[in-house]
Amino acid sequence: MNLKTEVLIIGGGATGAGIARDLSLRGIPCLLVEKGDFLSGASGRNHGLFHSGGRYVVADPEAARECIAENRILRKIASRCVEETDGLFISLPEDGLDFRDRFVRACEEAAIPARLLSQDEALSLEPGLNPDLKSAVAVPDGSIDPFELVLENAGDAEAHGATFLLHTEVTSLLLDGDRVKAVVAKDLLRGEEYRIEASYLVNATGAWADRFLRLAGLHIAMALSKGSMLVTNQRVSHRVINRCRPPSDGDIIVPNHTVSILGTTSIRLEEIEHLEITPPEVSLLIREASRMVPAIETTRFIRAYAGVRPLFLSGEEGGDRAISRGFVLIDHEKRDGIRNLITVTGGKLVTYRLMAEKASDLVCQKMGINHPSVTHTKPLPGAGQRAGLKERLKTLGQGEILCDCELVRREEAEEVFREGKLKNPLDILHRTRLAKGTCQGAFCVYRLLGLLNESGKIRGDSNTILKGFLEERWKGIRPVLWGTSVREEELIESIYKGIFNL
Amino acid sequence: MQYDLIVIGMGLSGLMAARTAAETGRKVLIIGKGMGCLTLFSNTIDLLGKIPGTMELRDGLSQWIKDHPDHPYSKVGLNGVEEGIASFSSLFRSPYSFRAIGDRNSFIPTGAGHRRPTYLIPGTMIAGASCNKALIIGFKGFRDFSAGYVAGPLKWRGTTLSVPSLFNREISATALSRWMERESFRETIARDIRKHLKEESCVGLPAILGIHDPIKVKMDLEEKIGVEVFEIPGLPPSLPGMRIFNRVKEWLIGKGVDFLYGYPVSEISVKEKEVKGIDVHHPPASGFHSADRFILATGRFIGGGLTADRGSVSEPLFHLPVAQPGSREEWFGKSFFDEHPIHRAGILTDSSLRPVDQTEKPLFENVWIAGTMLAGHRCIDEISREGIEIATGYMAAKNAMKQ
Repeated sequence: MNLKTEVLIIGGGATGAGIARDLSLRGIPCLLVEKGDFLSGASGRNHGLFHSGGRYVVADPEAARECIAENRILRKIASRCVEETDGLFISLPEDGLDFRDRFVRACEEAAIPARLLSQDEALSLEPGLNPDLKSAVAVPDGSIDPFELVLENAGDAEAHGATFLLHTEVTSLLLDGDRVKAVVAKDLLRGEEYRIEASYLVNATGAWADRFLRLAGLHIAMALSKGSMLVTNQRVSHRVINRCRPPSDGDIIVPNHTVSILGTTSIRLEEIEHLEITPPEVSLLIREASRMVPAIETTRFIRAYAGVRPLFLSGEEGGDRAISRGFVLIDHEKRDGIRNLITVTGGKLVTYRLMAEKASDLVCQKMGINHPSVTHTKPLPGAGQRAGLKERLKTLGQGEILCDCELVRREEAEEVFREGKLKNPLDILHRTRLAKGTCQGAFCVYRLLGLLNESGKIRGDSNTILKGFLEERWKGIRPVLWGTSVREEELIESIYKGIFNL
Repeated sequence: MQYDLIVIGMGLSGLMAARTAAETGRKVLIIGKGMGCLTLFSNTIDLLGKIPGTMELRDGLSQWIKDHPDHPYSKVGLNGVEEGIASFSSLFRSPYSFRAIGDRNSFIPTGAGHRRPTYLIPGTMIAGASCNKALIIGFKGFRDFSAGYVAGPLKWRGTTLSVPSLFNREISATALSRWMERESFRETIARDIRKHLKEESCVGLPAILGIHDPIKVKMDLEEKIGVEVFEIPGLPPSLPGMRIFNRVKEWLIGKGVDFLYGYPVSEISVKEKEVKGIDVHHPPASGFHSADRFILATGRFIGGGLTADRGSVSEPLFHLPVAQPGSREEWFGKSFFDEHPIHRAGILTDSSLRPVDQTEKPLFENVWIAGTMLAGHRCIDEISREGIEIATGYMAAKNAMKQ
């Protein structure tokens, strides 16, 4: 099939969805192509830390300034996606206080509101903290739901005319002298092939940026750094907890919906797909995080996952943590002589909007038009609604619950399918809280498939989908199987291998 | 009071151990914090699903015992397994009885629309084994069973009833089974089912045909619908498992067995190589209970008979050594569907089911082990859970009572 668009965006993470929204709000037609579902890359695989900038303020003040500016904007435009928890940078005896003093000064210079708390003050705010802590610095960190964020951006983009091709991979670029004439893309689920002509292309593929550019014979130097995270079965703190020391492994705990997320590791990779979390990583994360919150040593974990940071190498190399978390915007006309191609990569989830604005500005500049971005003031559709469990609890008692752990109602799932856009039924897992709780979908996905059968959305054998889900679930569960999780796993195996004989 | 035997654990193995001892007139106490896996998974009695349905189970089992000398079945012996199964079956008289079709494995439909092999089948499920074309019935609001899902792979038809008296709200298996015990409810659904029935020769329902008299429910439905009706096992809880529990409990209490349901054992009291008694720190049953013999039947991870921390698997009550794979890294395979090495972990015993140390010497003079906590089997993959529970429960008590 032949398609035509003004701007073709490749990549359905926060940046790609943000660009689609930014452009369509400026009245510029665009099409977004993504080889998986929305958020298949780093956007859906991070700890959901809503940065104040504190984490980078000492080593990379520029990235920190971007963070705090965007932090202020997103609180207004994306209030449903952000939980304003605040964050503490705690100093343990082994951390010393030199870094803390530099940290406080750097926050002041970067205009990040920071308040020094005594040991008593910190412990009264967060009684679960290590009582040996020397002091803490409070900053406006928070927690962000990347799924809500990206889907709201995509939804608003669509409402303003943007279109999407999900599960569709760009397989080749057709070059014509100094421009990309068209791309060939393949629907990975249905097999259909597209030839897409576009006036401009934006490469927003994150960690895949270099791999995509190779299709055009181009190359950029990137460091792929794996970050692994663990999910607890309940919140271990109300606020984001950071170590007040140079960023290192296992020094962040982020409250997220009903759980906490412990992060992260930083391991250089050659490969982007098939990330595995190793037992030494798990042990390291628990050891480090339990220095901050001792109860973590005995808490239950429900999942482990890993993402790849898209880090751009600007030339000189240090450790991966020293590489700027700021983003890069590459005009391939200037760099490589390809007039209608730009790449935007690097950055943080919290700066996705700024990245989208700058990339869209560059597109407009190339088009010779002068429509300013409005995304810094125009709220997302869900703004005004609050995030979190409290809101979901209000809907309790209104009909059948499909997912007991996360209180997802049957109607909520039916609503997602009513829109009729899911190519893969399990993409619902990125659109609701289904399967994100303690049992990780062991019960509700079977129920969901039953529901889809009843409504005729699936016919024939649902067991292939069920087995695929159980395998995917296994990847996240296997690294954290001990204690009560082993009990639950025995139950799940006894159901699916035993009763159902799958 | 000094008991002849205290059984710790109220799953199928513990119940069978208590029954076996009580049958010979001994004074027995059975204590447990729950019903074990009975009410989770036990719909039918699996003996060894690995044996093909073309082979008589006795032949398959006898070969299995030869090939697997450390398997619990090998410790119990072929005759012991058969005696245990016979003893279990004799508890269930008509109308709710268990039987094996042609003394071999048969294949019954499940909640995933697959057929699974099993051995002893209760009267409410047996028609599923031979039915070639059934209409599958689900209930709106009963989310743990989808008629469409079940019917799909079997290439049958399924329909979901919207019953006004359920108000289309969420309903559990136990609540639905209580509705099913009302004649008026059966009348309503039978009318609906008749409307949907076409050329099907039978009707498959989730396993919710009542708790107290499921055969009466089944027969009444059959009369009202006009075709045979059968139950299909699905997600926990298992109503058929509750029926088993209730029946054995009733029998044990009738025989004068002391039945302490809902109580965990806090610690045991040992003198040299002999266990003297158990301490229960749990009002109102707090106290010390002493006996001449003890059977431990606390199950695996679900039952709490085995626990796993980040380093190893252990047995928390008697602190018995547990045979297990090396490090946590080796516990689970890379695929969910692998046979995971951790499921081979368990308590090592001698041939009479007494727990032993590394040198294979019994650790206690008067302790026996029954059920899935034993080493040497992989009951999920073998499809042998209830068989192991019944056979070892029976034999542990036999051996204990010889002493």
